[in-house]
Amino acid sequence: MATLDLIGLTKRFGSVTAVDTVDLTVADGEFMCILGPSGCGKSTLLRMIAGFEMPTEGDIRIGGESVTPLGANKRPTAMVFQKYTLWPHMRVFDNIAFGLQLRRLPRAEIARKVEEALALVSLSGYEGRFPSQLSGGQQQRVALARALVLEPKILLLDEPFSSLDAILRVRLREELRRIQRRLKITAIFVTHDQEEALTLADRIAVMNSGRVEQLAAPTQIYDNPATLFVADFIGAMNLLTAQVRGGQIALDGVALDAPDGVRDGAVTVAIRPEDLALLPDGDHAGAWRASVEQISDLGHYRRAILETPSGMIKIYLPKTAAAEEGSAVSAFVRRYLVYQDGAPPREVTRPLPAQALTV
Amino acid sequence: MFRRLFSNSLSQVKTRRMTTTQAPTASFSRKWRGAALAYLLVAPPLLLMVLLIFIPALQSIARTLTISVDGVPGFSLSRYTAFFSDPISVNNLIFTFQVTLLTLAAIFVVCFPLALYLRFSSGRIASIVQILALFPLFVPGIILCYALIRFLGTRGTLDTVLSLIGITGYRTPYLKPDAIIIGLVWEAIPFTVLVLTAGLRQVSDSLIESARDVGADDWTIFRRIILPLIARPALIAFSLNFLGIFGSYTIPYLLGPAAPQMMGVFMQQTFGQYRRPDEAETQAVITFIICAFIGFLYVRTVARQRITHEKDE
Ligand SMILES: Nc1ncnc2c1ncn2[C@@H]1O[C@H](COP(=O)(O)OP(=O)(O)OP(=O)(O)O)[C@@H](O)[C@H]1O
Ligand SMILES: [Mg+2]
Repeated sequence: MATLDLIGLTKRFGSVTAVDTVDLTVADGEFMCILGPSGCGKSTLLRMIAGFEMPTEGDIRIGGESVTPLGANKRPTAMVFQKYTLWPHMRVFDNIAFGLQLRRLPRAEIARKVEEALALVSLSGYEGRFPSQLSGGQQQRVALARALVLEPKILLLDEPFSSLDAILRVRLREELRRIQRRLKITAIFVTHDQEEALTLADRIAVMNSGRVEQLAAPTQIYDNPATLFVADFIGAMNLLTAQVRGGQIALDGVALDAPDGVRDGAVTVAIRPEDLALLPDGDHAGAWRASVEQISDLGHYRRAILETPSGMIKIYLPKTAAAEEGSAVSAFVRRYLVYQDGAPPREVTRPLPAQALTV
Repeated sequence: MFRRLFSNSLSQVKTRRMTTTQAPTASFSRKWRGAALAYLLVAPPLLLMVLLIFIPALQSIARTLTISVDGVPGFSLSRYTAFFSDPISVNNLIFTFQVTLLTLAAIFVVCFPLALYLRFSSGRIASIVQILALFPLFVPGIILCYALIRFLGTRGTLDTVLSLIGITGYRTPYLKPDAIIIGLVWEAIPFTVLVLTAGLRQVSDSLIESARDVGADDWTIFRRIILPLIARPALIAFSLNFLGIFGSYTIPYLLGPAAPQMMGVFMQQTFGQYRRPDEAETQAVITFIICAFIGFLYVRTVARQRITHEKDE
């Protein structure tokens, strides 16, 4: 229940810069996901907020006050770890009560708070069990209860569900979101699972080699990836390099309009698979002539790989789309992003011709 | 391991019996072959243990409990009442307990910090400390004793260095109980540090960090998290060290006082110098019973650990 400000936060381990001048503000009650590939510094960032790592440079402020000099045991944060989180020699009750006991709360109050916390994670009645008598999912729920019972200002979670199976993971993250909304607690959730981040977060910070590449709401991250790294990392994307000459992007087999502000020279064109449409075989402006290489039915949609003069292109089709492997088609680009020289991308959308096979 | 061997051959027997209905005789003989093989493998060591350890031990115990009156043997506790009414014997037994317990205390005072250090630090200095802690493993007891005499004795290295820097009046621990304790602690360090470090490595970082996260300081983490989690390895180190120290001979013989004596030295003297094998046997049985009790504690700890581990899996 507080804002969090990271100012120029940097952590170096010898010659490795794990976190590189990160500036980040998390609003009161916000659910922020930190997303990035393995080794990009997510855990290090979170551990600095929790107080387990000392920043090399920069400042951490909670509710406007600097907590940088404080040890982990003095900070108003609580952390849920990935695994081995519960103390195996203590029953569930004592695991949750431990922090309250250290704060010398009266016995009756401790009992009441533990009971509430267990009810919150739907584990009432499990007080007397040892951690080894709980399933993995139950253990992580107890760990969550243990963190929440102290009413921290910031809740920190480092891939808390990543060692659980897929179904349980989805269930627990929905439960976490519900609890977080109810308590209106500020939460920072580290994950390398983009689906998890996209469904959970108010905002996502996408990290790459120690830096925040983009900080935005999930839809914006998906629709307008700020950098090529984000474009490639989030969702499926066709990335094609090409040269701009005289206002045209010359791809092999197709020429696309270069948007305003793009100079002659090298660019990268990014096309989401759902931003392509199939036209009947033939020459169309802004479309490749292609052949269907492979089709996979994925339940509510179909995924096709097309062979075009520019190489293999991935495309998503509605279930009803009539396309067969080996057939000749044309692939029309409805929307694309153009990246040049590290500048923010420029977006182009084009109306779909009337003869489209699929919508 | 033997248990696994047995259960393997037994489960094979079960599956075979279910599948090969047409050839009952073949499966029957195979069943016995599997089981027999398992017993055959354990039989020689088991036989050796019975022949060389249990039978002589039982014979000794039986002999200490019998007395011959006019050539007729009968049950008697007289050897034990003689032991416990002899002030020198009782003194030696008490002395052995005292040295053992003081040594154990000193071992833990030295080894706990070492093990904690080795668990929580890394780098060059930590690996040097690790090697130093294991070093006594490679030094035979007798060499250690003479090294300690040269170092700690009157006009030894320590005495010389102290007087060089102006500290005089050094009183050597040599031939005092202190020297026994120093020698025994030195000898026990590698094993104890190994057991404790292994125990501490089972305590994962996130368990400790979770405790710090909810507000525990270093001391609370040590007392409430680390200590309970390594109670078992510590108990194992305690009981195995107890056994080694209580029956030790070389170090107390070479470094300790002439009186009182530890039981090992006392037994050897009674047997070798005074030529009283009966009394030495009684002393040995008393020592054996005390050690057997500690051994029982050890076995129980290990067995319990195995049960909880099996439950975890
Ligand atoms: N204690 C440490 N000592 C030295 N280097 C470290 C330490 N902790 C992390 N690093 C390095 O810092 C970088 C970032 O590590 P970090 O654990 O933060 O990555 P991560 O994004 O959490 O990765 P993952 O998704 O695999 O958990 C890595 O290159 C790692 O090797
Ligand atoms: Mg990590």
